[in-house]
Amino acid sequence: MSNESAIIEVTDLVKTYPGDVKAVQGVTFQVKRGEFFGFLGPNGAGKTTTMNMLVNLVRKTSGSILIDGLELEKNLNEVYKRIGFAMQEIGLDETATAREMLELHGHLYHLPKDRIKSQIERLLKLVELEKVADRFTSTYSGGMRRRFDLALSLIHEPKILFLDEPTQGLDPHARQLIWGHLRELNEQGMTIFLTTHFMEEAEALCERIAIMDRGQIVTTGTVAELQERHEARTLEEVFLKTTGSNLGEEEVNLNAPDPYARARM
Amino acid sequence: MDTFFSDWYYLSIRNIKQIWRPALALLPAIFMPVFFFLVNASSLSAFAKVPGFPNVPYRDFIAPVAIFTAIFFSAGNAGIELVQDITNGYFKKLIILPINRLTIVLSKLTEVAVQAVLQGLIILVLLLAVGVHFATGFLGILAIFGLLIIFAMAWSCLSMISALRTQNARLVQSMFVLVFPFLYLTTSQAPLNLLPPTFRLIATYNPVTYIVEGTRALVLSGWSNPAIGEGFLTAGIMFVVLVSLTLASFQKALK
Repeated sequence: MSNESAIIEVTDLVKTYPGDVKAVQGVTFQVKRGEFFGFLGPNGAGKTTTMNMLVNLVRKTSGSILIDGLELEKNLNEVYKRIGFAMQEIGLDETATAREMLELHGHLYHLPKDRIKSQIERLLKLVELEKVADRFTSTYSGGMRRRFDLALSLIHEPKILFLDEPTQGLDPHARQLIWGHLRELNEQGMTIFLTTHFMEEAEALCERIAIMDRGQIVTTGTVAELQERHEARTLEEVFLKTTGSNLGEEEVNLNAPDPYARARM
Repeated sequence: MDTFFSDWYYLSIRNIKQIWRPALALLPAIFMPVFFFLVNASSLSAFAKVPGFPNVPYRDFIAPVAIFTAIFFSAGNAGIELVQDITNGYFKKLIILPINRLTIVLSKLTEVAVQAVLQGLIILVLLLAVGVHFATGFLGILAIFGLLIIFAMAWSCLSMISALRTQNARLVQSMFVLVFPFLYLTTSQAPLNLLPPTFRLIATYNPVTYIVEGTRALVLSGWSNPAIGEGFLTAGIMFVVLVSLTLASFQKALK
């Protein structure tokens, strides 16, 4: 039964890669409509795998995912109309300009032409890229690419925005700029699901936070609740107390094709 | 279904723009066939006097190969572009769009077809300029383009399969070497009866021989030559088999 106040409902989500590598082990959580939800964890905790399962970029082994009341795997395109995703790796078409990419994605979301046009102008202004909109994206700096990627994920005004490390590699000015945009989007009613390594980012933006470690959610709550529950003064302290350090256990996608396999034979 | 064709159209436009971005990347695919045609047509022209050679100038005999070579050298670009999309992460963006994912592959094939026509036209102008006569006239030229488009789409699938299965740019680029055995172990330079026995045997089993012969029949003979039908049949079979394998690889990549 779908919970109407929840826009993302994840129940007993499991991902096991070949070789019995358990990346995600029975994760259950809900994200409320309009909530700014933070998903934290050390490298290899299973955050990105979980987020990729939420958009079906990684197939779940078992469990259930409901997005806006829709079962993900049975309603892929309906779900894709409702979500935007700015991924950790900023994949852009380097042979296209920013304007061309926004226009293409507008068409592929089947938006009317006048709306595409107005959205392009609005978003370019939002991320302060109007002056370079007709330059090839290959000429953009890291910060410009990040900002443009955010704009691209917003072209269809999604209900839910997934952000995987959206400010990684950005200078403080660009980071503040992105934070401002995200707050504004959230105030307008957009649900935001954020993974980040920056504790101050999670603290500044997120209403509620889940911390994941070794494929499981170890604690969930508001920053104040987490600090009280774990007797910590800061979110970073909560993070360290609940996860410890897992260096050396980083996530490896064992399904990725190995181009050197034949060469080693 | 109502958005299938519009998705295909917009993705095709995106891919077609990649053909000339950067424009310099087009040069090798034009230069190579022009170079080989001009060099071979002049240096090997005496070959046309060998007993058993068809009664046509050597220049006309190798004219179809010039168009063919352009397509051979450019059809692999589809796989290279695809692997670039995969490795830089843009492919992931495409597959979480609310589109029919089949249009991602179809739009690549459309790009290949458009590129084949553009490059074929450039070579055609050159061939007409140097006096090559097309026995089947304007309709024959259209048929040549039809045959070459089918073949170009089929051939491009090899690089796309490689892109989808290995996701490795260097491996996809290395598929380029296949051009040489498939193009030169055929009747591209000499008629079958003048090839040494081993080459003749290989050429007989090389499907590209039938495409070359079909194209050549449209240039030199006339509509009654059965090689035309054999060429279309071979290209059609290659198209069905290789596009099916590409779609299977695509489905596997999505999983």
